[in-house]
Amino acid sequence: MKRITIKNMIVTTVLFLSLASCEKSFLELKPPTSLTPEFALATEADLQVALRGAYAGLKNTALYGRSLMVLGDIMADNTYQSVLNTNRYTAFNLYNYTVTDGDVSGLWTASYTVILRANNIINSPIADNANIKQIKGEAYAIRALAYYNLVRYFASPYTVDPSKLGVPIVTTYQADLKPERAKIADVYSLINKDLNQAYSLMTVFTNSSQFSKYAAKALQAKVYLTMGDKTNAKAAALDVITNSGFTAISAAAHAGYWAGVAPRTDKVETLLEISFDAVANNAFDALSYIYLQSGNYGDMLCSTDLYNLFEASDIRKSLYASGTRGGLASVFVNKYSSFTGDHSDTKVIRMSEMYLIAAEASYPSNTVDALKYVNEVTNRRGATAIASDGQALLEDIITERRKELAFEGERYLDMQRLQRNIVRSKNYPSAALSVDFTNFRRIMPIPQGELDANPNIKSQQNPGWF
Amino acid sequence: MRKFVATLLCAILVVTQVAAQNKTIRGRVTEDGKKPLSNTSIIVKGTNVASKTNEEGYYSITIPANGKVLKFSSLNFEDQEVNIGSKSEINVILANTVSELQQVIVTGYGTTKKATNTGSIATVKAADIENLPFSSVDKALQGKVAGLQSVASSGQPGASQAILIRGASSITASNAPLWVVDGVPINAGDASRLQTTGNLLSTLNPNDIESISVLKDAASQSIYGSRAANGVIVVTTKKGKSGKTKFRFDTELGNSDVAYVNQKYKPLDANEYINITREGLVNAGYSTAQINSTVSSLGEGNGINFNWFDNIMRVGQQKQYNLSAEGGNDKTTFFLSGGHFAQEGTSINSQLKRTNVNVRITNKATDKLTVGFNLNAGNVNQRAPLAGGAFGNPLLSTYFLLPTYSAYKPDGTYNYVLNGGLHNTVALSELDKRFLRQTSARGSVNGEYKILDNLKFKSVYGIDYNGLEEDQYNNPLHGDGLASNGRAFAYYTRYFNYVWTNTLDLQQNITSNGDLSTSTQIGYEAQKSAGYFSSLQAQQFPPSLSLTWPASGASPTTSSATISEYTFESQFASTNLNYKNRFVLSGSFRRDGSSRFSAKNRYGNFWALGATWNIDREEFMTNNTLFDQLKLRGSYGVNGNAGIGNYDAPALYGFGFNYNQLPGSGPTNVGDENLTWELNKPFNIGLDFSILKNRVNVTVDAYIRKSENLLLSVPLSNTSGFGAATRNIGSMENKGIELSINLVPIQTKDLRWDLDFNFSNNKNKITSLPNQADILSGNFIIREGQSLNTFFLREWAGVDRSTGDPQWYVTDKHQASSNIYPGANSRILAGQALPKFFGSLTNALSYKGFNLSAQLYYNFGNQVYDTWRGYYLGSGFGATFNKVKRQLEAWRKPGDITNVPKYVYGGNKNFSGASTYNLNDGSFVRVRDIQLGYTLPKAYAEKLKIGSANFYVRGTNLFTWVKDQNLPFDPEQGTASASNLNVFIPKTVTVGLSLAF
Repeated sequence: MKRITIKNMIVTTVLFLSLASCEKSFLELKPPTSLTPEFALATEADLQVALRGAYAGLKNTALYGRSLMVLGDIMADNTYQSVLNTNRYTAFNLYNYTVTDGDVSGLWTASYTVILRANNIINSPIADNANIKQIKGEAYAIRALAYYNLVRYFASPYTVDPSKLGVPIVTTYQADLKPERAKIADVYSLINKDLNQAYSLMTVFTNSSQFSKYAAKALQAKVYLTMGDKTNAKAAALDVITNSGFTAISAAAHAGYWAGVAPRTDKVETLLEISFDAVANNAFDALSYIYLQSGNYGDMLCSTDLYNLFEASDIRKSLYASGTRGGLASVFVNKYSSFTGDHSDTKVIRMSEMYLIAAEASYPSNTVDALKYVNEVTNRRGATAIASDGQALLEDIITERRKELAFEGERYLDMQRLQRNIVRSKNYPSAALSVDFTNFRRIMPIPQGELDANPNIKSQQNPGWF
Repeated sequence: MRKFVATLLCAILVVTQVAAQNKTIRGRVTEDGKKPLSNTSIIVKGTNVASKTNEEGYYSITIPANGKVLKFSSLNFEDQEVNIGSKSEINVILANTVSELQQVIVTGYGTTKKATNTGSIATVKAADIENLPFSSVDKALQGKVAGLQSVASSGQPGASQAILIRGASSITASNAPLWVVDGVPINAGDASRLQTTGNLLSTLNPNDIESISVLKDAASQSIYGSRAANGVIVVTTKKGKSGKTKFRFDTELGNSDVAYVNQKYKPLDANEYINITREGLVNAGYSTAQINSTVSSLGEGNGINFNWFDNIMRVGQQKQYNLSAEGGNDKTTFFLSGGHFAQEGTSINSQLKRTNVNVRITNKATDKLTVGFNLNAGNVNQRAPLAGGAFGNPLLSTYFLLPTYSAYKPDGTYNYVLNGGLHNTVALSELDKRFLRQTSARGSVNGEYKILDNLKFKSVYGIDYNGLEEDQYNNPLHGDGLASNGRAFAYYTRYFNYVWTNTLDLQQNITSNGDLSTSTQIGYEAQKSAGYFSSLQAQQFPPSLSLTWPASGASPTTSSATISEYTFESQFASTNLNYKNRFVLSGSFRRDGSSRFSAKNRYGNFWALGATWNIDREEFMTNNTLFDQLKLRGSYGVNGNAGIGNYDAPALYGFGFNYNQLPGSGPTNVGDENLTWELNKPFNIGLDFSILKNRVNVTVDAYIRKSENLLLSVPLSNTSGFGAATRNIGSMENKGIELSINLVPIQTKDLRWDLDFNFSNNKNKITSLPNQADILSGNFIIREGQSLNTFFLREWAGVDRSTGDPQWYVTDKHQASSNIYPGANSRILAGQALPKFFGSLTNALSYKGFNLSAQLYYNFGNQVYDTWRGYYLGSGFGATFNKVKRQLEAWRKPGDITNVPKYVYGGNKNFSGASTYNLNDGSFVRVRDIQLGYTLPKAYAEKLKIGSANFYVRGTNLFTWVKDQNLPFDPEQGTASASNLNVFIPKTVTVGLSLAF
């Protein structure tokens, strides 16, 4: 047998190693569709892109994509689930939802996802200019909106006791943070701080699908009303009514308004809406799909007692159609009219609500103003003007809110801040016809996934939930 | 002259005669013509005369007068008998039957022999995987290899198959083994994006495979370094043999049906549904008027009783044809094959067709240079229905659609008005389409150059191409396309993976007599896998059912293309030291660089040490008659797992969070620049022995493998804006025993009985987690001291006999119970998804031309979760959906003893919520394969001018015994052991024919 010679070995090794050499960049591959944060948030233009991402977060099915709007009505007395249904929101119809409920955890998770996107914009070190201010102002308002939703659903109303537990406050990105719940008062003070910032930073009105100075002020009017701070609520609402340049929708334009699917630039009625278009929409999971009867779902119907509130002359009545579903006489909801092509947008804040806030905030100190502002709504809807006084006036204002803002996710939250029992029409399951304010399910539980992942919140579950 | 001749003849005769009376024969016994076989015993048959060979293999023996036949025997070699006749020198080469010792085993980057192998390697031969009614080879591996768990979760032809080798080593990173086909590490798994399931291996025809080696321990795996942690499956395709060109034709035809049906889990008929609904409405407190109108709206008395189950399940057709040719001369050999395989699933809308070709050519260019080329290419056309909770899932509609709604209107056209917004899947199977066309090509060009007799250089350039075209069309009239007036998708996915491997192999005697020798390999490998994905969707279709491509849609809504790539660059070396085939010591080392980690953690070093002791080769065993083989093996090493996403290490902002059709961005990945390999440290000890002339062969292995620095998806507080982040944290351990026994209880001229048994036990344990904190993931808990995939659920406490209410234990202490669905703190450890032990028992009998074989597969000790139970057995939850027969066992009056609560329309107190009620014992035994065959006797075959002919009838999954009578669906539900209304796993009956000529 031949022996290996030193020479042979050297030749072979050199030959081999020459094959083995490789370009250094061979192992350096950049992600094709993502950027590292320092490149994604480097410039003013980048922040503008990130801001759209924050708005897009609000489109989530768990938020303005559907749930926020449905829950706000089904957890109260406006909409109920048809006996023919796809099983969506059943547990809220029955008021027996649990700590593992997917809609609950969706609301929690999607809200904090939006908050992270807003935080990263707010905390950007890019030097200020008018555009940066506008972008940051919108981000502040978005963050305030997300916290406002969280604290209303996951904590007891501010009006009960602001020192109770609210939701965790996260204003900077830190992946491993395991925050405790902050006090309700602290959450509201962050919301107001953010809205003040938003109001002072913003100068541009783009269209109704983005926050503007007065949309932030309008949101603050809602926030103050929720806190029971009627003085500030009224002042904020009047600031919008007087100074924003927005006008409320007339009776003649009402039907066309709800049929429209595009964001508005004419400063008519819509202070803020979350926009869905023909490309980016939630398809079957769209808000309109769960109400409209022309698709496969149409699960959610209008409760009889709500429908009966509308006078024949009330233009709003035309948004509801009578029919039969599951063998039962039913009222269909046509407020969100499009689930093909450009989808219906979700209204977040409307001018009409500013009048309703001004009216409610004027009561009981200034019933003249209360009547004046509430009738700014009735007279634009073909409804009989309200002329009551005392407690009846307040009830009329609340009812007018119910009629005007039905299926816009407000009713349950009104019942919360007003600390009222919910009495539902016979359309609802017999086991859940009355839901007292003391029912622990009136406040959502901290989702099980959060309890499992965050040891600091484990002992802070809402009362009644375990 | 004549006289001389006569004298000579006479002399020869005399001599012969004398010799026959008492002559001496000499000769030499060798193993291969050269290597001497010492100590071989030689006896003259029928006498006591015996002799032995010396060290050099030489012998001499004096033959007595009556001696006619010499018998040679040597340990580990087949006996041989030689007629003495007039011979005076008899040289014999003994065949090395037994012994697998010399049997070639394919390993990573080369081959070894059983004697020198130090690792734990299981081999599967062609005959075990040919002609099976399985759409991919991974499915055929079930039960064939101790320690290899192969589990289906869907009966869809072409579905992915989960394989775990020695348990799961990772919590979050991949647990899939590395597949190496003809030396090329390939992309395996499910690459489909629109189909509910797919399998890249479904384009590989199992009939083209010659052997499969499963590398199970450090010694055998670690040469694959960072991708070895989950085991390596080395596939070698068929090679041609020189000689006359041989043809072979195989065909198989058959039918398939659902393998396991539990009658309790068949849907209710119309009367049953209406009755229980009425009962539920009464129990829910509805007024009589409301009850009447509701049941009437649900179809009471409409005369329809449509059986969705029967209309959706079907008997599927199964067929395959394979043709091959091989041949060549001493310079060039070739193997060519082509095949066609078609299988229909057990429910409508489920099918797969495969066509494939395979070529291998090897040429000895010179004495030193050999070049080769092989290419295995296949095309699969698959149609898979939706799965899980999708309304278009036929299996879902089987259980959810009401029997009071028919798929057809009275005039025979499709009915589109159904309960609960559900879809008429019978109609959709005709009107919609969902196709996957997958084309794969795997092959290489390779060259081997003998630099010296004992030094060779080998270079292999391999490619692995997978192209997937996926189409989906949802019609505008009904179903998922209704909302968008019809929609169509076209997704294209391509993976191109190239691997260039260069190795140098040195065989060297260290001592001049060869008692101590070494074989050493060094190598270099570079690999790049490039994925390319384009996706498009269009909506708003013309009102026609025949325009099904996105080109006809007026509104394009998705138009996207992107890539995803990874690269590996590696150097490796392995060596072994062999002392007289008695002791072998092996070592391997590999340094891997991966694009998946940041620059500071890019490279990892992996190694292994192994040793074996062939005790039967020891001198003290010379007189041993018991053991034909006795071998002890051991190994330890470190390998890795980089089975995470290609871009998981950096913190990332993603795009696509668009608003008003303008670009939007958001954080998508937490990232961790310290991310590095997950480590796997397997220790293995094994024993192989054969006794009773190799009629009893046993292999036992015991192992402990520890996984450290787990690439773990650590749950984050959602308040961070993220749900989880990948980190190197935590550790895990798998311990187990594997046993394989091969027995030949009967072996006569005509009758042979083979019995193969294998047993695998694996105990998985999480050994450390960050801050000892539990990680909750769906219905599973990851907790220190527990197995991966341990169910963590609220504990069901039975039905309250007096009220019919569902009850759960209030705490995790199995104490007080309540009819209120309890909180998260009451969850208990409720069993594991991974089996405690599994394996198979195969009996094969052959008598003359007949053979009968049966394989039983068994699996014990896991729980199966019924994901959608709350809907069809939720006591009124989802009341407008149909229910299963078991619902009829509902509580009705005080005192009733049942495990199904009172039926209340809308749901009875969250009974539908997840609890241990959803769990069933997953233990089962199944007749995996049973086959009766007949091989035409050679004489007849020759008359017919064919080489051989074999007919058979085969049944697959024919019988399934389950331990739990309430198990709703097939016990095989993936490694997470959770059903998801997938296409049911089939049982198949086929007849086959194999011809060679």
